[in-house]
Amino acid sequence: MDVTVEVVGEETRAVRVADDATYADLLAPFDLSPHEVSVLVEGRPVPEDQPVETDRVKVLRLIKGG
Amino acid sequence: MSLSLDATQLDRYSRHIIMDEVGPEGQEKLLNGRALVIGAGGLGAPVIQYLAAAGVGTLGIVDDDVVERSNLQRQVIHADADVGVPKVESAAAFVERLNPDVTVETYETRLGPENVGSLLEGYDIVVDASDNFPTRYLVNDAARLAGVPVVHGAIYKFEGQATTLVPGGPCYRCLFPEAPEPGTVPDCATTGVLGVLPGTVGCVQATEAVKLLLGEGEVLEGRLLFYDAMDMSFETVPYRRNPDCPVCGENPIDSIEGIEYAGGCAVEAE
Repeated sequence: MDVTVEVVGEETRAVRVADDATYADLLAPFDLSPHEVSVLVEGRPVPEDQPVETDRVKVLRLIKGG
Repeated sequence: MSLSLDATQLDRYSRHIIMDEVGPEGQEKLLNGRALVIGAGGLGAPVIQYLAAAGVGTLGIVDDDVVERSNLQRQVIHADADVGVPKVESAAAFVERLNPDVTVETYETRLGPENVGSLLEGYDIVVDASDNFPTRYLVNDAARLAGVPVVHGAIYKFEGQATTLVPGGPCYRCLFPEAPEPGTVPDCATTGVLGVLPGTVGCVQATEAVKLLLGEGEVLEGRLLFYDAMDMSFETVPYRRNPDCPVCGENPIDSIEGIEYAGGCAVEAE
């Protein structure tokens, strides 16, 4: 299936994954680890080990600097 | 016009008072307002600068660092002569020079689970201008339990994020349930940071703080503002309360006791 992945502040890309893919699999084409981002579906974070059940996600990086 | 603002204050705050959205009543709210700023570094500097100029009557400042020369490229309330001086002391001196209406309460300490409750007590709002995840999660959790709004800001190289965490709305954990493991997200000392970046993001935080104290305008509740300095673009990312959030969800914690504010800062299920 194709999922639109929007990495906030960077790029939006259509990612093709297997039907049983997890949200972590959506990050594979990007230089991002699941531990440093939140994957949002309709404004809520989803666990990265869960199967993908949407056609669009937003990916937001955690930053800490102040 | 209110009689409690004296002639000097009517002059000093005249550009506020003339606006319907502020007026003398709003200026008095600011003068009676109490804001706690966590961190007097890159973000804290413009927050402290503008809240003091705006006449926020009491500014609490928490920081356990001293001013270093490498801070001065962005931490605009500290000066060359302040190198080696505790940041809270340098910040308080800056505010004293700027506005005698403002009382500064300094806390030269590291915010931790053992002192967060007493530090938050008596403040109307908290501005999170810290530089690490344990503090950010601790501030979120303790402030939500205390019912105090938090204005969040964070920066990385050329990008910044800001959002406002208001009781009743989503909290930081609704957006980021757990912190990354230490070492996975670099800090400013490792990656560098554009000197003016915290100025922009800190001013957004100061704006939110002033609006909260005035009770005016739409704050960034359920919205994360993302700023890219290189593209000079702003984007707003909506987010929602998470019913599974351990802090503000359907089965919330009633104290921070037992939460390990290190590593992932996870709230373990009981």
